Amino acid sequence: MDIIISFLGFFVSLIVSILQFLIPNFDGDVVNRSWQYLFFEGMRFTLLLTLMATVLGIALGTVIALMRLSGIAPLVWFATGYTTLFRSLPLVLVIFWFYFLLPYIGAWAWGMDRPMTVGAFNSALVTFTLFEAAYFAEIMRAGIQSIPKGQAAAGYALGLNYRQVMTTIVLPQAFRNMLPVLLTQTIVLFQDTSLVYVLALTDFLGAASKVAQRDGRLVEMYLFAAVIYFIVSFSLSLLVKRLQDRVAIIR
Amino acid sequence: MPMIEIKNVSKAYGAFKVLTNCTTSVDKGDVVVVCGPSGSGKSTLIKTVNGLEPFQSGDIVVDGISLSDSKTNMSKLRSRVGMVFQNFELFPHLSIMDNLCLSQQKVLGRDRAASEVKGKALLERVGLSAQAAKFPGQLSGGQQQRVAIARALAMDPICMLFDEPTSALDPEMVNEVLDVMVALAKEGMTMMVVTHEMGFARKVADRVIFMDRGEIVEDAKKDDFFGKTRSERAQLFLSKILQN
Repeated sequence: MDIIISFLGFFVSLIVSILQFLIPNFDGDVVNRSWQYLFFEGMRFTLLLTLMATVLGIALGTVIALMRLSGIAPLVWFATGYTTLFRSLPLVLVIFWFYFLLPYIGAWAWGMDRPMTVGAFNSALVTFTLFEAAYFAEIMRAGIQSIPKGQAAAGYALGLNYRQVMTTIVLPQAFRNMLPVLLTQTIVLFQDTSLVYVLALTDFLGAASKVAQRDGRLVEMYLFAAVIYFIVSFSLSLLVKRLQDRVAIIR
Repeated sequence: MPMIEIKNVSKAYGAFKVLTNCTTSVDKGDVVVVCGPSGSGKSTLIKTVNGLEPFQSGDIVVDGISLSDSKTNMSKLRSRVGMVFQNFELFPHLSIMDNLCLSQQKVLGRDRAASEVKGKALLERVGLSAQAAKFPGQLSGGQQQRVAIARALAMDPICMLFDEPTSALDPEMVNEVLDVMVALAKEGMTMMVVTHEMGFARKVADRVIFMDRGEIVEDAKKDDFFGKTRSERAQLFLSKILQN
């Protein structure tokens, strides 16, 4: 933990020095005072929400993609309706919606006579999972459809059944094809989690915003937050590129 | 007893008839070549034999098992019928050895060691022992198709189906694939082969079937087919492809 703190501290002071060099009257002190709060409260929340929503979203998205490709009419309708609905609504709207609606849905589902207490974090997690699942489902569907029909036919011709064809032939290839897009979507989600400020949750941007208001240092805090978002997103997308080369199938 | 019996098989997409009343059979140990112009339904016909293409009426019986019987376990039947595709359809994310072992392990339940022994022997047979660790994308078309034949043989099939196995190959690679098929035919494998390679038909076929517009127009012994072709359409087709 100490190593992480000293590494992050060095990293932060480097960024502050650069910003001070570029902007003459940049107040580095406010960042030095608050960065631990920003990272260990705000960034921890942001990463936790991103990670959990990604894992749950991919799981739900895979189910929806398989429903959509199942050829069974009611499942196809449901899956198509689901993705179309969520992809046509602004995320902020959905966040609000679920925050106010989820306690009532929960109460109805479990037969309680008063709205259940969901909590802002759980509400945000449910919202992001449901919302991202719609996008992940479309990525999965495109990935599965990108595998030539002949590949599945060859699997069936060898005597494999549907499940074996999917798990050993189609999905491993589809997953390699869609990995870059999947990770890019995760980077987008990492940025989108900042929208939880509407629920007064303290994510990374929320934490920066609080300090900025309290100390009257809007320029400093919002610039610092922007630099951190950029560095994290940019390094992740570089990582995606590297990964893409490593898992590529030789054709 | 015939290994493959095709009885009055018909298939249509809406009003468009792909197969009309096709009836023929392949005896155990025989090699039957199916030819005909593109769009004649020959590929569709061969794919109905292992149930990759459904058909609407008629029946197909393979080794005494009816495909239209709802109790037939299609996966089990397919595991006993080898198939080689025009575009090889090797699994690009798996090494050559993994391509050969996958179905042996998953379908036949062989252990890895036994599957590899079988795989090695078959690679040797098609002259590709050195390529076991490579991936399909690193091999030439002719080599890939030979691996595909080995992959089908790894399942110890009772008969083999070939769907235009040399059509996607560069000319200089056609013979290396045909040589493997000729050797297989001479060992007594029951084979149904869709191809335009008339040299192959002359060499090893017992019978030749000519198809046009979804119908079996001519179904004759090899010598009769090349010696005294009866139907006009087959004569026209032969004169076109034998010109060069």
